[in-house]
Amino acid sequence: MLLLYVLVAEWLFFYWAGTTTNRRGVVVGFGTLDRQFDILRHSCEIGLLALALTPIILTAGIDLSVGSLLGLCAILFGKFWHDGGLSIPVAIALTLGCGALAGGLNAVLITALRLPPLIVTLGTFSLFRGLAEAITRGAITYTDFPASFLFLGQERWLGLPTQAWLFAGVAAAVWVLVHRMTFGRGFRAIGFSPEGARYAGLPVARRLALVYVLAGVISAMAAIIYTARLGQAKADAGTGYELFAITAVVLGGTSIFGGAGSVHGTLLGVAAIAVLRNGLACMPAVMRMNSAEEMAGLLTGALLLVALTASVLPQILSHYRSRPHPA
Amino acid sequence: MAAPLLELRELAKSFGGARALRGVDFDLHAGEVHALLGENGAGKSTLIKIVTGAHHPDRGTIRIAGETVVHLTPATAHALGIACIYQQPALFPDLTVTENIALRLDSDPPVRRINWKARRERARGLLARIGADISPEAEVRALSMPEQQLVEIACALGAGARIVIMDEPTASLTQKEQELLFAVVRELRASGVGVIYISHRLEEIFALADRVTVLRDGESVGTNAVSEIDEAALIRMMVGREMTQIYPPGEASPGDLVLALRNLGCAASGVHGVTLDVRAGEVFGLAGLVGAGRTELARILFGLTPADCGEILLNGRPVAPRSPLDAVALGIAYVPEDRRRHGVVLELPIAHNMTMAIHRQVFRGAWLRFGAERLLALEFIRDLAVKCPGPEAPGSSLSGGNQQKVSLARWLATKPRFLILDEPTQGVDVGAKSEIHKIIRRLAKEGLAVLLISSDLPEVLGMSDRIGIMRGGTLTVVLPGNADAHAVMSAALGQKP
Ligand SMILES: Nc1ncnc2c1ncn2[C@@H]1O[C@H](COP(=O)(O)OP(=O)(O)OP(=O)(O)O)[C@@H](O)[C@H]1O
Ligand SMILES: [Mg+2]
Repeated sequence: MLLLYVLVAEWLFFYWAGTTTNRRGVVVGFGTLDRQFDILRHSCEIGLLALALTPIILTAGIDLSVGSLLGLCAILFGKFWHDGGLSIPVAIALTLGCGALAGGLNAVLITALRLPPLIVTLGTFSLFRGLAEAITRGAITYTDFPASFLFLGQERWLGLPTQAWLFAGVAAAVWVLVHRMTFGRGFRAIGFSPEGARYAGLPVARRLALVYVLAGVISAMAAIIYTARLGQAKADAGTGYELFAITAVVLGGTSIFGGAGSVHGTLLGVAAIAVLRNGLACMPAVMRMNSAEEMAGLLTGALLLVALTASVLPQILSHYRSRPHPA
Repeated sequence: MAAPLLELRELAKSFGGARALRGVDFDLHAGEVHALLGENGAGKSTLIKIVTGAHHPDRGTIRIAGETVVHLTPATAHALGIACIYQQPALFPDLTVTENIALRLDSDPPVRRINWKARRERARGLLARIGADISPEAEVRALSMPEQQLVEIACALGAGARIVIMDEPTASLTQKEQELLFAVVRELRASGVGVIYISHRLEEIFALADRVTVLRDGESVGTNAVSEIDEAALIRMMVGREMTQIYPPGEASPGDLVLALRNLGCAASGVHGVTLDVRAGEVFGLAGLVGAGRTELARILFGLTPADCGEILLNGRPVAPRSPLDAVALGIAYVPEDRRRHGVVLELPIAHNMTMAIHRQVFRGAWLRFGAERLLALEFIRDLAVKCPGPEAPGSSLSGGNQQKVSLARWLATKPRFLILDEPTQGVDVGAKSEIHKIIRRLAKEGLAVLLISSDLPEVLGMSDRIGIMRGGTLTVVLPGNADAHAVMSAALGQKP
């Protein structure tokens, strides 16, 4: 709830500080509809990754490989279409399949070999990026995609940026999965107490496999819209996105220790970060210094720390008041 | 007469809206065992957590040996000579027994050579004093619930305290360990220590205590000398009405064979050569000492540690559950002994916990149905008299006995064919206990086969149609349901009757 106020305050601030009128008397900057759509367009990829990460973090797991997988899938998609001569829909379907396979690799290592998710996905984080670079030998960039494909990333459909519809669809699906189906119950139980979940007869391994495979598929979707937005597929696509996505999830109130959290919280977290990054780029003072990126990093970090502190503050205060026992 | 060792006046404490204690007076003299009695959620654990400094009271005064103590913290309580065995063992699972005992008892300067040999010897000595067969080098993670409880008791002994508090120390101990514990408590009393003793087993109160205070809904109903009161009067004080502790009668003619074990064993858990039959409508009791392999046998049947030899026949068909998931699909249910780690997910609401094993039945097509879930939870809350603000309250806000009821409800809800109960009434008060016994009997009459593991000997004797005795990982004797306590005890100890 706190985050909602932060988001509104943030938005109003940038509306006030980031909207200007240029010499010809046209309103430019944050306050324009174009700019708002731009924010939406830019937040879809990180937003998808954050949606993929929410169920995983609910199970007290983590997936560091989603950004790398975005890069790998972008390259595979380019290769299927350009070198393989496949039609766009077939290439998309194959790419999603590859995303599922990559997620399946994480899932097998985590559930069958019982390795910690942090270590497994740290490994696949390097593996997927390395594969993407090996395929392109670090040099090839796939471009010249047909306009019908670029529509997905650069045009509007029914008034909104096309990819926003995809994002909304995935968000709704993940929300239902987590909040309206028994799967979500399983994720939470596993996150709070894996042993307790096992003793309750919940299919712990299957649930864990599900969240990692799902993350693979959603990462592949993010790769498609990333490619469509930029009109090119390069091996470094999505570098560092996993950290923004994790930040958004945690900012949205999901506990990194698992169990507690929500999908709508994640959406708010994504919005808070997107508005911050874009809003800064519109502020004349920041533009003059040409330091929007640096400022954004700084403020995202500060926002995260403040939000986390605010969320534990009441607990700590009541701790001091009633001076209980650590056990 | 000297000032009492401990004097509590007008103690009150609320958690949010829930008033756990509303003005309780209590005192404890040197050289007495003062029992604290009351229904689940009456406020017993809250009272002692205030004495150990774990909770701070909203109002009231605490006097220790005549001195008023204003800010009692766990550290000052320790310094004042108060030691406590909590209802739930609170040991560090990754450390060894020796390390855990040292952590409790020693406050070292940050840099010093530690004499591990002396610490191991002390741990060994303390464990030997209560007759616990536990290696000081064992990791606590590997210990069973009762073993952890014994380590807790050893810690409290080693502290050399003036006031020793025991919150249901015997909840999962069997007769032999209980008797050793009683001997230790009597020894403490003789040496001038004051002991506060909480238990739901009335016979223990009569065997051990000098005085007894009964709490009801956070208020003290009265304090009496044990010699001047009888069981019926105590129960009346506790539940506020007349109640008799009789076990419901068993079924005269059990039905078809439900579960048959043939030479079952599992090397990893030390169980071997178990052969037994349980019929529909029958309650098969399992008795034995701590470490005899009763829980280990249950874990095999529930697929937690799959068997590696022998056969399990369910309704005549060989089955091999390899995970709890398999077992649940076969219609096997298991109420585990460690409710906090395995029985309830404490952070989740009561309702979620109660439906956790019946997702398929309640939530057809995996869609949550909140209304149906709430009704189901309310029904169990009523049937088992769970004291809670509502089905949305998290498990962690319940008292120990009420958590146990939630754990039980989860598995009763599965309507199993074969039900394994591992200490189903540990920490449950007399009223709810007899409710649970009636439910078990009713389900058995409806054709359920029950395996009842309990360290509460009267419960095993009263509820079982037949009693199997385990010793050293195998089933040694099967006695008829009307066997007496002496026969069961000597079989458990391996003596010829
Ligand atoms: N941390 C907490 N948060 C909210 N309510 C609590 C908390 N701890 C205890 N309570 C409530 O306070 C009341 C007294 O609890 P307490 O644990 O003292 O009962 P008890 O007498 O020890 O019961 P039992 O025999 O089941 O152990 C209960 O109604 C319980 O729900
Ligand atoms: Mg208690």
